[in-house]
Amino acid sequence: MPTSLLQHDRSVLLANFESFRADIDDYNDRRERLIKASRDITNLSKKIIFLLHRIALEDDEASNARAAKRGISKLREVQDIYAGLAPELIGDHFWRYQRQVSPGLQEYIEALSFAHYLQHGTLIPFETVQRSLSSPEGVPFFPLTVSDYLLGLSDLTGELMRFAISGLSSHKGGRAKATQVCAFVRACKADFEQYSAFVPDLRKKQAVTAQSLEKIEDAAYTIAVRSSEYDLPPEILDDIVAQSISHFSDRSHKRTRGHDLEDDPDNDGS
Amino acid sequence: MDNNDLEKINDLLDKDVEIREKIKEQVNELDKKARTMAGILNRVHSTPPGALPPLLDSVRPVLQSCQDTMSQLASIVPENQFWRWKDMWTNSLRTAISAVAMVQYLTKRDLVSLQQVSDTLGFKVEWANRVALPVEDYLHGVISLVNDLSRLAVNSVTLGNFEEPIKISIFVKDLFAGFSMLNLKNDVLRRRFDGLKYDIKKIEEVVYDVSLRKLATVKTASADMES
Repeated sequence: MPTSLLQHDRSVLLANFESFRADIDDYNDRRERLIKASRDITNLSKKIIFLLHRIALEDDEASNARAAKRGISKLREVQDIYAGLAPELIGDHFWRYQRQVSPGLQEYIEALSFAHYLQHGTLIPFETVQRSLSSPEGVPFFPLTVSDYLLGLSDLTGELMRFAISGLSSHKGGRAKATQVCAFVRACKADFEQYSAFVPDLRKKQAVTAQSLEKIEDAAYTIAVRSSEYDLPPEILDDIVAQSISHFSDRSHKRTRGHDLEDDPDNDGS
Repeated sequence: MDNNDLEKINDLLDKDVEIREKIKEQVNELDKKARTMAGILNRVHSTPPGALPPLLDSVRPVLQSCQDTMSQLASIVPENQFWRWKDMWTNSLRTAISAVAMVQYLTKRDLVSLQQVSDTLGFKVEWANRVALPVEDYLHGVISLVNDLSRLAVNSVTLGNFEEPIKISIFVKDLFAGFSMLNLKNDVLRRRFDGLKYDIKKIEEVVYDVSLRKLATVKTASADMES
């Protein structure tokens, strides 16, 4: 039988597998590096979000603008990490490692869009996000995906809810701000609705956005009901509230407790 | 979001939907072809060695026709987006790869190389960032080949071909040695690799049965003594 003379060459076979090993190792190593970088970016972005909250809650007119300015300059650290990752994500690599890059990227977009909101009161446009992730010459580090953009923005609504509700107790114009945020988040939710058919994860996040919106709406409702009881302009109401707060301010523990109650424990911390 | 931005996002999403639909069409084609080949090759389990060549010849035109589908796919996938869309055809492609590997094994008694698979299915270097043949898919195809060879070892004995299990045994053991060289992470490939030992065990049992009953003489004895 002629076929019995044929046989594979063991050494060729093993040499082939050796090259596969190199290929697989290369992939796994790069993957690990990107996961680590993505984790760093997530951490840094979370810190920036806290920073934005902290400064924006300071009780003066310019706090939002100041928060945005500080936040945007801190965000440059994240952009620098992305600039360093660009060679790893060149060409078709971006899509190969998209799942590793995505979590950090969404967190970054959340922080960036929060800073943008504090500065402009609007939703950050797609182009602006992509430009923030480009070299000074305008060459993108990697292509921004619609899905990461939308998912990052969807997380923004949760931050805005926190911002609006904690603003109520610590801010003079907190109630006016809460009303603005309420309208803004409502518009976001409506805008995102049409996309949830295309971006699977967005549907889940829309449910979270709905919860956040409801919390802000409840707060807005309370404002409307209570202020209707007094026929006074909002600034005077603010003053009355501020006076009674300062009256108690030496008994700071009391105020802290009141503040904690505002912070709904079942907020998810994402 | 202002209207401009809304429109832009809608545009981008619409384009993706369009691409997805076009790819789907081609994947259906590829899937049909892959199934056809798998169907034909399933008959090797009931075909005596003498009747094998015509059977294998009937697979070749189908293999050839996969080239069209691959180049169609390459014309749809945008530059650099291979990894974005490849999941859509991965399953069909792996079936096709294992068909190539089976044909090669039965004609040349050799493992088809990655390059040979790539050439047979018509992958072109020019569109490597749109449609390419990843090592992972090739390895999946090879594991499917082993799964099938362990069946063939059993069935060829039933057909009276006692030499076949021994040839398969030598081949599969070397393949296993190859796979053992890889640092696999915990994924499907790793699990399938872990499953290979059952195929090897099955083949060994058949070899044991035929050699003990002196139905076949084990020429390369050293290769078999080890296990």
